[in-house]
Amino acid sequence: MNWGRIWAVFLRYYYFFAKPDSMADLFFWPALDIFLWGMTSVWIQHTEQEFPKLAIAILTGLVFWQIVWRSNYEIAVNMLQEFWNRNLVNLFSTPLKLSEWIVAMMLYGIFKIIVTIVFGAFVVWGLYSLNIFNMGWSFLPFCVSLILSGWLIGFLSAAIMVNYGQRLQILAWMTAYIFAPFSAIFYPMSALPSWGQLIAKALPMTYIFEGMRLVLYEKTFSMEMLLTSLGLNIFYLALMMLFFRWMFEKSREKGLARLE
Amino acid sequence: MTKEKVLSVQNLRKVYSGKVPFVAVDDISFDLHRGEILGLLGSNGAGKTTTIQMLLSTLKATSGSIFYFGKDFFTHRSEVLEQVAFASTYVSLPWMLTVEQNLEVFGRLYGLSAEERRKRMDAFLERFGIISKKKDKVSQLSAGQITRLMLVKAFMMRPKIVLLDEPTASLDPDIAEEVVQFVLEERKINGTAILYTSHNMAEVAEVCDRVLFLQKGKIIADDVPERLAKSVATCRVQLLVGDGLKRTVAVAEKLKLPYKLDHRTVEFQLDEAQIANLLMALAQAGVLYTNINIMHPTLEDYFLHMAGVGRRS
Repeated sequence: MNWGRIWAVFLRYYYFFAKPDSMADLFFWPALDIFLWGMTSVWIQHTEQEFPKLAIAILTGLVFWQIVWRSNYEIAVNMLQEFWNRNLVNLFSTPLKLSEWIVAMMLYGIFKIIVTIVFGAFVVWGLYSLNIFNMGWSFLPFCVSLILSGWLIGFLSAAIMVNYGQRLQILAWMTAYIFAPFSAIFYPMSALPSWGQLIAKALPMTYIFEGMRLVLYEKTFSMEMLLTSLGLNIFYLALMMLFFRWMFEKSREKGLARLE
Repeated sequence: MTKEKVLSVQNLRKVYSGKVPFVAVDDISFDLHRGEILGLLGSNGAGKTTTIQMLLSTLKATSGSIFYFGKDFFTHRSEVLEQVAFASTYVSLPWMLTVEQNLEVFGRLYGLSAEERRKRMDAFLERFGIISKKKDKVSQLSAGQITRLMLVKAFMMRPKIVLLDEPTASLDPDIAEEVVQFVLEERKINGTAILYTSHNMAEVAEVCDRVLFLQKGKIIADDVPERLAKSVATCRVQLLVGDGLKRTVAVAEKLKLPYKLDHRTVEFQLDEAQIANLLMALAQAGVLYTNINIMHPTLEDYFLHMAGVGRRS
């Protein structure tokens, strides 16, 4: 593992950071989501007084879903950037190793997530006078677990795209939302039909969002939920890394140049 | 030129699987030596780009082996690629990044220090006439400028081997000639070994010490350009005859030389050694000609001949 090369790849994406596309991803879409759903939550809070914490629960779900979405997006779309820029062959004909590219993606993802969370928290505070960090620092381990969830979804999409090419690029935006209905983001797992609950139980995100709601509603930090989510995330992420490497090697059999 | 072997390809083969497997590269072997410029020629689909992609590890070989500097490429990929660079007209660079940002990223990937990056970047951008574009985004460059930027990217790493895939394809003739001169200089000064593909046969003949001719994935010839050219073609002598056209034809028939007649222009096909005899015979016959044009066989003749053979087979 060469940290100089990892830093080079980090910079390659960082230089794109200040461009309009990147700005929209970082600020416009999260702000739009928070505004639309925030207004909806405020309205629900005013009309349904028996659910006083619903608004913050929905908003927290929104902000933290951005973590999953963002970390997934960084992996999948940054890989697509190389297809679109006809730069994949350039990049992988250098001494760069696949493992170094993966680490750089993750580090860059963490950097952008921090920016998004801080920005999202400010927007929520500014618009609704709510501090999503009120749940205390107990949200941090859940955040780490959410990042891992995003990465595993990102590597799933990236693995498929690196083998099948740009015709499946829609997966970069779609895959996370395939899991969203079963991840208990806005509603508890119990709200799902029994077959849906089976899927939800297998997803690490479910335990994270359920755990965060426990912190919000009952001021209880569930170590069991956190450890279950972390365990599942680490297990799936390891599988996805292997899957990604396997698909990358399969793609190399057909040639990376065909992806550009 | 020393004979230090920097690249050795042995029995390299690429078969694309499918309902009907397609053999793109079929059991090729060759060596590249320090300071040598080796041309890779062949019609479209002959296997040139496939070979280059395997030499860069962006395409997996079905079988065979590649050794760079005596090291197995398949097990020492990253270490080996620190000394191998690549430029092609058919790939690009991130177009939202500036020229400088792109070169910084690639300089770091090859482990250049900040000082080396800065010095070499400026020197090479200057050498290729695009220093004024340093702060411009790649999207603002013309196709020819991008091609030159790719060459800067490849050579600023001071690699021991450079793989150049059609490096002058989108360049104006004057810039293409500058690139050719640059490549020759790099070889002379730094002993860089270069694998070179191009469709410009005159350029290949000028640049390359040796040429491999690929056809349907196989190497069918490996020789210096001049010998390849002579192997399939003879010289052509064109005369614009002022007086004695019938006598000229009679001389051609007497010497049993193939000829073509077009108004007052006669074109003979003959070996270089026969030219003196022909001219003497014409003089003895009292033929007066106002213009003479002697055309030696070129690599293009060879290419056209072999491409024709390939199509027929």
